[in-house]
Amino acid sequence: MSQNDLDKRIAEAQAKIDAQERPKYMAAGKGMGLGFRMASDFAAAVIVGVALGWGLDTLFGWSPWGLLSCLMLGFVAGVRNVVATASKANQAVDNKGEGAGE
Amino acid sequence: MRIATDPMHQFQVSKLLDLNVGGYDISFTNSALFMVIGVLLVIGFLAFATSKMGTVPNRVQSLAEIWYSFIAGIVKDVNHAPGKPFIPLVFSLFSFIFIANMLGMFPYWFTTTSHIAVTGFMAIFTIGLVIVVGLMKKGLGFFKIFVPSGVPFVLLLIVTPIEIISFLSRPISLGMRLFANMLGGHVALKVFAGFIPSLALALGGLGMLMGGLLVMPLIVGVTALEFLVSFLQAYVFAMLTCVYLNDALGEAH
Repeated sequence: MSQNDLDKRIAEAQAKIDAQERPKYMAAGKGMGLGFRMASDFAAAVIVGVALGWGLDTLFGWSPWGLLSCLMLGFVAGVRNVVATASKANQAVDNKGEGAGE
Repeated sequence: MRIATDPMHQFQVSKLLDLNVGGYDISFTNSALFMVIGVLLVIGFLAFATSKMGTVPNRVQSLAEIWYSFIAGIVKDVNHAPGKPFIPLVFSLFSFIFIANMLGMFPYWFTTTSHIAVTGFMAIFTIGLVIVVGLMKKGLGFFKIFVPSGVPFVLLLIVTPIEIISFLSRPISLGMRLFANMLGGHVALKVFAGFIPSLALALGGLGMLMGGLLVMPLIVGVTALEFLVSFLQAYVFAMLTCVYLNDALGEAH
């Protein structure tokens, strides 16, 4: 009981220290990093869609339907990546106020 | 002249030591040389910083401590307690990429991270680790990340392929971003720098004046930006490693 209590208090104190020190380390370039992430996440999903579709086409002779449908799916997956990243970033800001990490 | 202004020449891998084992070409290249230099620099610095440890850290020790707690902070932030065993891994990844990027900023030095063979391998290793850890921790339940909860069955037929493509895009995104940023940045630097001799050749004294007054400040700015990008790419790679590890460690989200 008391051990549990102590653990909890240590965790709380640690979280407080972390929250104080975090902005110091995270100051530069957070938004830029997020931007790089979104751009390449989107592009990569489209590339994977094309590769997958092309592979299916050559394997099963579905040309051009495999490429067409997988390109669309890749597009959707790319948008989904970007939206997921953005909503997570928004959540982090809402939860912890400005300058908080994800 | 052609070598001096060719922006792609700096990325050529050349053999320093010919090695051939069992039909495989494993020659020691300039790329490998700079990887070794980077790793030795990191190990050497950390060994030096931790050789005379004090309760009150001296300058070198506190630099090493900030470096470590920066990475530990990211891992704790994203993965919380279960991420603790992975701090050394993320630290190594960050340090290697950071030092390789920084070594690449020296003129005439090779940028290891501007080759997709290197960044792609690191990305595939990271995702492979996520899959292995996920399968070890959750068994087949790991594959639930492809099947979001609370989605009707008909939609799952569309959502699951999208989730799979999204998962497969991660190693590509991870490797491509680092490689493309380093490649693009160094090409841009070289192209801008190449304006000065080109202007001087074409216009003589006036060209040199224009090069000095207009192009040089631009190069200084782009160089500063490249330093920021060098750090940022290492940071993004480390953070995304943590984010992806969360799929294997964390509860369903």
